[in-house]
Amino acid sequence: MMTGYEWKKVFSRRGGKIALLLLAMTTAVVCWFSCSVSYVDETGVAKSGFLAVAKLRAQTKEWAGILDEDKIRQVIAENKRITQSAQYLSEDVTENNMAYHRTQAIQGIRDLLNSSYAEGFRSYDYYRANKLGEEDAPQFYGNRAALLGEWLRGEARDQFSEEEKTYLMERYESQETPFFYDYVEGWSRLFEYAPAIVMITMLILGYLVAGIFSCEFTWKSDAIFFSSIYGRNRATAAKLRAGFGIVTLVYFVVMLTYSAVTLLYLGADGWNCPIQIIRWKSFYQLEVWQEYLLILTGGYIGCLFMSFLGMLVSAKTKSAVIAVTVPFVLIFLPSFLMNIDNPVINRVICLLPDQLLQIGTALGYFSLYSLGGRIVGAVPILIVLYTALAVVLMPVVYLVYGRRQVG
Amino acid sequence: MMELELKNLTKTFRDMTAVDHMTYTMTNGVYGLLGVNGAGKTTLMRMLCTLLAPTEGEILWNGQDIYAMGGDYRRLLGYLPQDFGYYPDFTVHDYLMYIASIKGLRPAAARKRAQQLLGQVGLLKVKNKKMKKLSGGMKRRAGIAQAMLNDPEILILDEPTAGLDPNERIRFRNLLSELAKERLVLLSTHIVSDVEYIAGRILLMEEGKIRASGTAQELISGMAERVWCVSVRQSETSRFMKKYKVSNMKLTPNGVELRILSGQCPAEGARQERAGLEDLFLYYFGERSGEDDDGL
Repeated sequence: MMTGYEWKKVFSRRGGKIALLLLAMTTAVVCWFSCSVSYVDETGVAKSGFLAVAKLRAQTKEWAGILDEDKIRQVIAENKRITQSAQYLSEDVTENNMAYHRTQAIQGIRDLLNSSYAEGFRSYDYYRANKLGEEDAPQFYGNRAALLGEWLRGEARDQFSEEEKTYLMERYESQETPFFYDYVEGWSRLFEYAPAIVMITMLILGYLVAGIFSCEFTWKSDAIFFSSIYGRNRATAAKLRAGFGIVTLVYFVVMLTYSAVTLLYLGADGWNCPIQIIRWKSFYQLEVWQEYLLILTGGYIGCLFMSFLGMLVSAKTKSAVIAVTVPFVLIFLPSFLMNIDNPVINRVICLLPDQLLQIGTALGYFSLYSLGGRIVGAVPILIVLYTALAVVLMPVVYLVYGRRQVG
Repeated sequence: MMELELKNLTKTFRDMTAVDHMTYTMTNGVYGLLGVNGAGKTTLMRMLCTLLAPTEGEILWNGQDIYAMGGDYRRLLGYLPQDFGYYPDFTVHDYLMYIASIKGLRPAAARKRAQQLLGQVGLLKVKNKKMKKLSGGMKRRAGIAQAMLNDPEILILDEPTAGLDPNERIRFRNLLSELAKERLVLLSTHIVSDVEYIAGRILLMEEGKIRASGTAQELISGMAERVWCVSVRQSETSRFMKKYKVSNMKLTPNGVELRILSGQCPAEGARQERAGLEDLFLYYFGERSGEDDDGL
């Protein structure tokens, strides 16, 4: 009952209702962006809409399957046929688009070719695939580790310890190949816009929960609250439960709506592909569905941690205004710190809580840490660290608020 | 017999002592706490509500420290603070139901009690109105209703009639007299007439200490000065005001009628009057009333 009233305090305010409405509108806009896929038909005309998605999917799926040497050879050959066609070489844009109609079917694999056969580990040339011959096919997977090794010995030699270099090479070399390839547009778009929607959700959650522990002071009802039998215990726990409940419900409603809309519209094919189909350089050996779960879980833990921190600040300062700034600082401050070129700061930045809101991006970073003689990537540390901190924050908020004096 | 005992109770804020080594025992009945702004009334009440911890001394309820009792003590407590805060977007009914929940009432009992109190304070018709839409008097009535939800044995009311119009004040006093039976009620105010009508015993508080206590009659009869009524010319008024404590001034066709506190007859023709609580207030606090900070 007490928890229900805490919810009511949050959502009976006009600000609470407006925040929810804003979140619903933002979710709709992000869904629209993530689903905005264009397809070029045989006549070279760009189409969008559900039918266009279905055609793109069907065309891409013709190339689905094990991405072995033979398939790479076929893709290189197909790409060559396209790039040597009259349509591709024509100076007429519509003719070029008609050629692209055929390219878009192999676009995903073509991107992988550009990465694999790049001149350097960190370089990317969109036209690199056009320069390949079928005889290059056998090096497709080997190039990945070879380029990494070259980079670690050269440009990045001072960025990693020998153990870290060995770890990265081992991760690359132990990656199971050949990859299973499929149409992954749904997942790819879902991952692309996930950080935006998670961050927006967090900022709105920050606003919603900021007042839970300060509203009594704002409305001067603190004296009645703390002089009641449960004011310093159960009613405080109810506030925590309400904060936890609001974060959980709002976050999952937004994220599951966003996921469902995107995947239902674009398709959930490719869930069992390795994430390297989307993130070629990532050293994490995961499948696409596992990345999705990580994004969902990481975002949730990040939102919980930041919300509890905001609640602690509001319990301590009695101010919702200061508490609202917490997620803003945590999300936007690292962007400023990133401009400082210092290896220690860079390592710290990769462990800041904003990374949880963009786990997909973090999966592409080469941020490594040595823990008890073992090399570990930032992502597992982020998940464990902030889960623990969120759990620790709960009793801290409870104690800070429960012991408040009303002067 | 219930007993609330203050033992050497002290509260200091940095270098300012709000409550200064206060020792006093209260039992059943209505206690009126009178004092000028800044006398320490609110601080004392907040300590009695466990909102502030004393710097020194202790408060005992039937021999047990109220801070050690924690929730068991707060279960007995009803409190209406001076700045009565509420949840503006809650309806009156929701507000009472929420306070009932944090006071430990089960939902069914809470609904029944809220309904009963809403009737008692005359808010039944507006129970579905948002708190922010109520008039000042209605809000105060909702305040007293919340304080009574748990049928408290100790009822602490800090300036409950502040800001109310005369009708609301009369209504409030009557309501309080009705609710005060079989409880310990501590009522703080600087509206003397409120105390006069309701309180059995009066505590006169000054600079964090109880300057005097007793029934109105005991306190009045203990005054060293008497109350005199004297008619003077208008030009003499300022001389009298400088020399005596003047509790009232009234213009008459022949000049000014002054109500004066004095040990001896202040002027020829002055007649002795029966002293009231306002005279008592003036007697104790006359020169300092309204000079200090509020909210202490």
